[in-house]
Amino acid sequence: MADTILSVRDLSTRFFTEEGQVNAVESVSFDVEDGEIFGIVGESGSGKSVTALSVIDLIESPGRVTQGEIWYRNADLAEEFRGSKPEAVDGDLVDIRRLPKGVRRSLRGPSFSMVFQDPMSSFNPSITVGEQIAEAVEVQRRARSNPRSTRSRTQGYGLGSLLVDSLLPSKSYVDDESMDRAVELLDQVGIPDPEDRAEEYPHQFSGGMLQRAMIAQALAGEPDILIADEPTTALDVTIQAQILNLLRDLQEQEGMSILMITHDLGVIARMCDRVGVMYAGEVVERGPLADIFDNPVHPYTQGLLGSIPDVDDPSGRLEPISGNVPSLLDSEMPDACYFADRCPKAMTDCLTRIPEYELDGRHSVRCVLAEQEYDPADAVDSADAADAVDREVNADD
Amino acid sequence: MTEPLLAVRDLQKYYFEQDSFVDSLLGRDPTSVKAVDGISFEVERGETLGLVGESGCGKSTTGETLLRLREATGGAVTFDGANVFEMDDDELKAFRRDAQIVFQDPFSSLDPRMTVGDIVAEPLKIHGIPESADGESKREWRRDKVADLLERVGLSANHLDRYPHEFSGGQRQRIGIARALALEPDFIVLDEPVSALDVSVQAQVLNLLDDLQSEFGLTYLFIAHDLSVVRHICDRVAVMYLGNVVELGPTDELFESPKHPYTKALLESVPRPSTAEHGRRVEALSGDVPSPRNPPSGCRFRTRCPQVIPPDDLDIEQGTYRSVMDLRDALAVGDVNPDHIWDAADPDRADTEAFIEEARARHVDAELRGEVAGVVDTALGHLAEGEADRAGETLRERFESPCETRRPAVGEAPHPAACHLYEGSDEVTVIETNAGAAAEADD
Repeated sequence: MADTILSVRDLSTRFFTEEGQVNAVESVSFDVEDGEIFGIVGESGSGKSVTALSVIDLIESPGRVTQGEIWYRNADLAEEFRGSKPEAVDGDLVDIRRLPKGVRRSLRGPSFSMVFQDPMSSFNPSITVGEQIAEAVEVQRRARSNPRSTRSRTQGYGLGSLLVDSLLPSKSYVDDESMDRAVELLDQVGIPDPEDRAEEYPHQFSGGMLQRAMIAQALAGEPDILIADEPTTALDVTIQAQILNLLRDLQEQEGMSILMITHDLGVIARMCDRVGVMYAGEVVERGPLADIFDNPVHPYTQGLLGSIPDVDDPSGRLEPISGNVPSLLDSEMPDACYFADRCPKAMTDCLTRIPEYELDGRHSVRCVLAEQEYDPADAVDSADAADAVDREVNADD
Repeated sequence: MTEPLLAVRDLQKYYFEQDSFVDSLLGRDPTSVKAVDGISFEVERGETLGLVGESGCGKSTTGETLLRLREATGGAVTFDGANVFEMDDDELKAFRRDAQIVFQDPFSSLDPRMTVGDIVAEPLKIHGIPESADGESKREWRRDKVADLLERVGLSANHLDRYPHEFSGGQRQRIGIARALALEPDFIVLDEPVSALDVSVQAQVLNLLDDLQSEFGLTYLFIAHDLSVVRHICDRVAVMYLGNVVELGPTDELFESPKHPYTKALLESVPRPSTAEHGRRVEALSGDVPSPRNPPSGCRFRTRCPQVIPPDDLDIEQGTYRSVMDLRDALAVGDVNPDHIWDAADPDRADTEAFIEEARARHVDAELRGEVAGVVDTALGHLAEGEADRAGETLRERFESPCETRRPAVGEAPHPAACHLYEGSDEVTVIETNAGAAAEADD
């Protein structure tokens, strides 16, 4: 078995909004192994993007990661903090949530980098694409030559840098060497005539080309883990095929791991080795691709697979999951399985919180069906379950 | 065979840029964006015709133009025997009772300041329905009718007085469907009705559309980009690319034996949600969809087509020919910069051999041999001297494809494909264009 590069344990992220506390991510655990593509799939609002942002430490106020551990394998960091923060080190693994903020920030780029969904809004429209990629290269080069420089809290801010910025033209931040590397990266991701395209602005690129450019930018730091958040959702299917091929090639060339976040089960099937299915902030089922697709245990996973029309076989009616995606407001979330009110196999046992059951070492599921057969005699009507949930909520008020 | 409910003939919709008064004073010629460029199809009563294609191919414009929500540039649409584009105001109002539309985005297509009851009742009000109601006021009649419609689409009658923001995406789409049904139309254009929805909700709405069709005998024009949805719901499918219909046929036949290279590539690209999909490598189409401002001459798909046809007298492998054509396209759009090639090959700009070698390494994917290599090298020699136009011309003389001189359109066969590969059968009709005009369009 390959070594684990990233191990997320019991991660919870909350947003403290005016309407109340939103439990966007609820006790999520998963591992990413060396050189694999791990997929997280779920519908909108299931917490998959917030999970990714939590890992890369990009959750902004009013959100906060409230609990959990994010173990990341890095021998150098482990060595560095073994003395000063023994609780954050376990062998070669470090718990990045317990590292100082500056160190966490320095991990963005060489350890984790991210490709976002919408390439059109992720680039600065007033700076050339080449310069934006070169900037990422530059940051990594400076970090390598002086690891402390990017860890300083004031770097890039304050009076000193304000003076420097106003005296020096901003172009000087990117030197020729970084620009050459940016062109190389653009070439690597398959952009024709990269020297000229590097001089162009984002609006001169098509959506597919811009997504390639964003991947180039993410590669600038030679990351261990590339987090791809819906990387092809904004693209047409023929362009999606190009980008998926590119990601797979890069993953093989660079030997990196990819954390792939998508709502598209087809993309998951083509790309991922293992999958986590998210619903209402929880990973409800997790395991190797074949276990999830051919042998799903959780009724939500089954429902999700049953909802997709098959492009090769049109026969039969779709079997959708009834109801709607639930609210994630803490005050409206029941002390029951979150899926119980939509679940066709809800039983009385489902009206309590469900732990995660291990089926075998690799396949785990958050559903009582892991341990017991569905018993119609014990069934609660999904409507009853919804009522029970309502009562619960009202009792809280 | 009965007459089709809707017949579209050579429909064109161009958008014009630079055609304001100021532009005409400055003597600028208006430029056209050919969103829909001469398409024809028919929709039979009671069937669902799918219109599928990638973004920007003109499928939504088609849907809106044939309902006369946008004025067409040319062509004709016949609905139930009457020409939609020649209707006067009264006839048009009557037509709108029979033909309705459901829009893609359930968040922007419902007025946030109207209650659901008012939204669904609005078409009834506009069309003065009911003409008379016995025993109750017209308002009450409409309210009952709306309550009925809401229940029919899976909502509840006590949702009447709520506002759109209180509903989820799937529920809003149901409201949009109820509004379209209010006038009891025969024909509904469904413009990407499920693409904004999550899969579990998407399946609910698809099932609902299915049920409504059999209950009310509706005819649908289903516009979508998702091929698996189209396969599930449509009886026949028209595939669009850059303003043209490239293939049209019964759904099963089209999905099981696609004819047009674009349809094949599209089907090949769809990721299937099954374990057999894992690691499947798709031969992705190269490049992007060209701009409709300056579409390629001849066949619109020729710039990306893996089966583009070489000239008769040229002996060349398909892959090699594709990469030569890619080089020509790159030259035409200015993607080949001789300065960069010189910088890499020989900064002193003396060694033409080195330039040619570098240019081939950069811009030609395949091994070139014999005559092909000779012509390409001559052209690259011109490029080395800074004569990009002459390089393009040299390549065009030898490599010009029938696909770029003549434009194919779907023929009369039951499952036609607008592709030169099927020339000589009734699957394709060829619109002759002269080669000179084609060369001009390339510049």
